[in-house]
Amino acid sequence: MVNPAFLLAVPLGLAFIVPLLKFLAPKIPKFIPPLALLFNVVVSALLIPEASEEPVVSSIGGFSPPFAINLVAGPVGVLLSAFIALIGLLVAIYSFDYIREGAEEKYYALLLLFLTGATGVALTGDIFNLFVFFEILCISSYSLVAYLGDRSGVEASVKYLIQGTVGSSFLLLGIGLLYGQFGTLNMADIASRIEATGSTSIFIPLVLMITGLGVEGAIFPLNAWLPDAHSSAPSSISAVLSGVAIGIGIYGVARVVFTVFGAEPVFQLLAIIGLLTVLVGELSAFSQDDIKRLLAYSSIGQMGLIVFGLGIATPAGVTGGLFQLLSHGLAKALLFLTVGYMIYRSGSMKISGLRGMSKVTPVASFGFAIGAFSLVGLPPFMGFPSKLMVIRAALAKEELLFLVLVAFVLLGTVIEGSYFLRIVQVLYFKNRESDSKGGYHLLPLSGLIPICLLIVLLVIIGVYPGLISNFLSSAASELLDRTGYITAVMG
Amino acid sequence: MNFLSGYIYYIGAFGLVLIGLFIILLKSNLVKVIIGINILDTGVNLFLISVGYLDRGTAPIFAPGVQIEASSMVDPVPQALVLTAIVIGASVLALALSLTIKLYGHYGTLNLEDIRGQRW
Repeated sequence: MVNPAFLLAVPLGLAFIVPLLKFLAPKIPKFIPPLALLFNVVVSALLIPEASEEPVVSSIGGFSPPFAINLVAGPVGVLLSAFIALIGLLVAIYSFDYIREGAEEKYYALLLLFLTGATGVALTGDIFNLFVFFEILCISSYSLVAYLGDRSGVEASVKYLIQGTVGSSFLLLGIGLLYGQFGTLNMADIASRIEATGSTSIFIPLVLMITGLGVEGAIFPLNAWLPDAHSSAPSSISAVLSGVAIGIGIYGVARVVFTVFGAEPVFQLLAIIGLLTVLVGELSAFSQDDIKRLLAYSSIGQMGLIVFGLGIATPAGVTGGLFQLLSHGLAKALLFLTVGYMIYRSGSMKISGLRGMSKVTPVASFGFAIGAFSLVGLPPFMGFPSKLMVIRAALAKEELLFLVLVAFVLLGTVIEGSYFLRIVQVLYFKNRESDSKGGYHLLPLSGLIPICLLIVLLVIIGVYPGLISNFLSSAASELLDRTGYITAVMG
Repeated sequence: MNFLSGYIYYIGAFGLVLIGLFIILLKSNLVKVIIGINILDTGVNLFLISVGYLDRGTAPIFAPGVQIEASSMVDPVPQALVLTAIVIGASVLALALSLTIKLYGHYGTLNLEDIRGQRW
C-alpha cells in the first residue's frame, strides 16, 4: 500500500529544494517539477484500484481519527490528485521553453507549492488542514500571477490578493465557529455530530465557508478577480489557475456542503447560483476582444456549469459535475497553452491580431480548435459526454425549476459556441495582412508534447467516456454518501 | 452591562472583523486596505483564541507529581490554529506590501480609484 502522504511530502519537500539546486547548476531547477509531478501521477494511479474499493485513510503521527490530521484518499481525492499532477506535469514541461525571463527557480518552486496546495485540499480530511493547504494554493497563485512583474500582472495580483485574503478569513471564521460548537476539526467527526444540532447554529459557518471557498471557486458574485488574474498571468500559469485552482475551489465547496454539512436545502440554491454564473460568464466572454480575457470569462461560465451539475445532487448529476470539471480542466489548459504560443508569435492579445494564425502556428491553432470544440461540447471530444451527462441528470430530476434552468444552461452553451467558433474562423479563414516576422513557426518540443498529449486525451476520453465514467461515479457516490464517509474514516 | 462580560471577547473579535471589513470596502488607499486586512485577520485570531479560553485556566501539560484537573486546562487546539493563522497572515502581509511597492513603481500612486488598467 502506498501512503497518500507521499503525494504531499514529495512535491512540498522538492519545492523548497529547487531554489537551492540553482546554486549547483542553473539548469537543474526546471527538471525538478516534472519529476515530482510524474511521481504524483504514478502514485495516484497506483492508489486508484485501492481507493475505489474504500477510501485509504492515513493519519499523521499515528493517532487514530479524530485526534490527528488525517488524509482521506477516497475516489474523489485520488481522482483530483491524479488530475492535478497530470495538468501540472504538462504545464511544467511546457514551461521549459516558455518561461525565459525572471527568476526561473522561483517560478518552479512556486508552481510546485501551488500544485501541492491543490493536492492537499483534495486529499485532506480535516477542515483546518483544508484551510492551510488552501492558503498555500492561494498565496503561491498570488505570487505567480505577478511573476512577470509587469503593470497588469501586479495590479491583477493585488486585486486577487485582497479578495482572496478576505475570503480566506471568512473560511477561517467559519472553521472557528464549527470548532466552537463541536470541539473537533475532523470532517467525518463533525459530519457525524452535525445532525444533532439545530439548523440555525450551523447556518452561519456554512455560509461563511461557502463564501470563503467560493472566492477561489469563482462562484458568481465572488469572481471579480478572475478575469484580471487569469489574463495577466503568464499563459502557463493561466492554464493551471484555470484548469486546477478554480476547480479545487468548487471541490472545496462541494466537500463542505455535501460531506461536512449534508445541507440539502443549499443544493437548489447552488444550482441557481451555478446558472447565474454560467450566464454572467458566457455573456461577458461574448463581448471580449482580448483572447485571454475571453478564455477567463469562459472559465467562469464553465465553473457555473460544474456548480449546476453538483447542485442537482443526484449521483448522475454529481458524476456529470466532476466529469465536467475534468473536461474543462483539460480543454482550458490546452487553450491557454496554445494561446500562449500564438500570442508569443503574433505579439498581440487581441483576437483581430490572431488572423490567419493557422498558417503560422498550425499545431497551436489546431490545438486551440480542438480545445474550443471540446469546451462547447461538440462530439467526439471530451466536453460532449460531460455536458450531456449534466443535462441528462437535470432532465431526469423532472422538476419544473430544473427544466427552466436547463433551458438557460443550453442558452449559455449557444453563446459559448458562437464566440468560440468566431475565433476558430478568425484563425483559419482570415488572411494575415502583413506578417513582418513571416514564415512558418515550429513549436519547440517542450511545447509540442503537452499540446499533443492534451489533444489525444480529449479525443480518447470523448470517444470512450467509459474509460473513466465508472471511477467518476464511485467518486460521486463518495461525495454523496455521508454515512459511508464517516464509517470509512472513524472506523 | 454585566451580562455582556461573558461575551466580551466575542464582541471584541467580531468588532475587529467588522472594522476590518469596513476599511477594506470603503478605503481607496492600498496601504489602508492592507491594514484593514490585517485588522480582519486579528479579529479572526482573537475569535479563535476566545473559543478555547478558560478564565484562570492552566497550561495543558501533564507532569508527574502535579495534579491538575483536565477541566481546568485551556484548550490547546485553538492556540495551535492561531499560531498557524498568524504565520499565514504575516506572509500574506509581506507579499501584499511587496506588491504594493511594485504597484507604486508602475503607477506612481496607491489610490485604488486611479489604478484601473483593467476593467470588466
